[in-house]
Amino acid sequence: MEILRNMWRRKFRTFLTVTGIAVGIFAFTVMGSMALKLNKMIDGGKKYITGQITIMPKGTDFVSGQMSGMLPIDTLNKIAKVDGVEAVEGSVSLSVDEPNPDEPVAMSMGTPATIYSLDTNSNFKNKNWETLDMKEGKLIDKDSADNDISIGSTVALDKNWKLGDTVKIRGREFKVAGILEKTMTGPDSYVFIKLPVAREMYIDSNPFLKSLRDRASEAANISDAELKKLSEETRNQILQAKAFKVEDVSTGASASWKEGVDPEAVVARIKDQYKDEVVVLSPKKMGETIDKASATMNAIIYGAAMLALIVGIFSITNTMIMSISERTKEIGIKKAIGASGKSISLEYTLEAGVISLIGGFIGMGIGILSISIINSKMASKGAEIFLIEPAFLVEVVIFSFVIGIIAGIIPAMRASKLRVVEAIREL
Amino acid sequence: MNKVIIEARGLKKSYKMSKTNTVRALDGIDIVINEGDFSAIVGPSGCGKSTLMHILGLLDRPDEGQITIDGVDVSKLKDKLAYKLRAQKIGFIFQGFNLIPTLTAVENVVLAGKYGGMKLADRKKRAVELLQLVGLKDRMNHNPNELSGGQQQRVAIARALMNNPTVILADEPTGELDSKTSLEIIDILKKLNKENKQTFLIVTHNTEVAEACKKTIRLRDGKNA
Repeated sequence: MEILRNMWRRKFRTFLTVTGIAVGIFAFTVMGSMALKLNKMIDGGKKYITGQITIMPKGTDFVSGQMSGMLPIDTLNKIAKVDGVEAVEGSVSLSVDEPNPDEPVAMSMGTPATIYSLDTNSNFKNKNWETLDMKEGKLIDKDSADNDISIGSTVALDKNWKLGDTVKIRGREFKVAGILEKTMTGPDSYVFIKLPVAREMYIDSNPFLKSLRDRASEAANISDAELKKLSEETRNQILQAKAFKVEDVSTGASASWKEGVDPEAVVARIKDQYKDEVVVLSPKKMGETIDKASATMNAIIYGAAMLALIVGIFSITNTMIMSISERTKEIGIKKAIGASGKSISLEYTLEAGVISLIGGFIGMGIGILSISIINSKMASKGAEIFLIEPAFLVEVVIFSFVIGIIAGIIPAMRASKLRVVEAIREL
Repeated sequence: MNKVIIEARGLKKSYKMSKTNTVRALDGIDIVINEGDFSAIVGPSGCGKSTLMHILGLLDRPDEGQITIDGVDVSKLKDKLAYKLRAQKIGFIFQGFNLIPTLTAVENVVLAGKYGGMKLADRKKRAVELLQLVGLKDRMNHNPNELSGGQQQRVAIARALMNNPTVILADEPTGELDSKTSLEIIDILKKLNKENKQTFLIVTHNTEVAEACKKTIRLRDGKNA
């Protein structure tokens, strides 16, 4: 109670100090919640990428994301036979919405809605992500119709698609056969479509592949007899066109390894045999890369918040020094009537802790309010930026008390060492 | 023969005001205070009265000399242990009252009990009794800025009595009070001395206060006069 009364004695100074801490804790709460959300998303991605060997076509530009789109099925079948490989599945992914050349690409926190193919005939399973939980309906499988799709929770919210709806994607009609539970990561933005259909959509989106397919189609109608009548050059062109297979179109592939086998050894073998044809991503290396990026990102986010807090600490220390200087005589009186240096030190340390705690509650409160408002606006798109975790909030409260204690220790120890006679002489 | 409460021999204390200027505040003071004494320390301004009071009250250390308080040699007592003795054996009354401004009258008195190691349950009860003794029970929930000078000094007296001290040291207790209030305060102290055998050592330059005391100790230039 005396602490609160002492704070009330110098209202404006207390207000300034409390505000300093509140700003720091507000930044810490908001940035920390953002980091929690990002970490959750990254964890999901890491879980996925380390649960399989990812294979990409040679010529994939990792910077621009440009893919050749060609991963020959024969190559994948050969990779499937490499020692230690359990299964290989080709896949196709492309954006749900066709890019609009008139509109610049909008930056957002979430992944844009993405078509993700499912090979319902494959027995490939990601080691860390074997099943996807469904909120409604089912995940497309062997028995599903070609135009059945299963969609992520963010896609459902953003596009207002419900179970059973007939929807249009890139000019084709599909039926929503299932909606996934929220995963807080990639699959929330996916539209799962059967692989052959996804392939066709991919080819349609790529003029080069489209012309290859069309030419292959035309070439297929030319008989061997007619072929013989053509010039060598033209014959060769047609033979090349005929060689094109839709099954060769994959933007990537996933390989699983047999139980008890070291995946890195399998990666090494695939690289060794097929390094001229594919790019192979090691689960361990990918995990380490993600960890590094995540650590850097967390350092930036928390570092910024810590800077704000350090300013707050200095603010409290300054306030306590001024406060003790003004209350020197009071300290002398207390010591004269029997207070030990330890009790004086404890009193002022606690006062600093309480000031910081009050600032902490205010900052955290405003932080939670701001986060809730922003999240509720983003929720309609399923793209919340922040994650509020009760455990984190408790840590924030404890942390704000602790920094107050730290800030108050030195001034408090100085107060405890004040000589009584000199302190009382301050009349 | 009454028990000796305070015995000090050959007390010396100097203060270095600058590199070349040292003030000798006490230059070999001897003093004996017995249980039940109601003594005054008098002398002209600058004779060392307050310095002596501070040393006897363990608020300051002598450069030379020996002090025993209630039979305990405190000559070499470390500062960080002096607080316990101050809390339990010595009560203080200051010229400027020196109450904690953010605490009420009763809270000021209770605080002394806290430092004296009194149990929480007993503190409030004793504080109220003491405030009643000094005639301030009806003002006990007021802050010092709501009390007159005389009332504040009564609170200070109650605070000084809280831990049943062996001796109460009063440094110019009527210094900031008018003559009427001064007499009221001295009457309270006299009554406590007579009825409770409370030992008082009062520093004063007020002749009326000095005359009210049974014993007078005179100082001049840091020495016994």
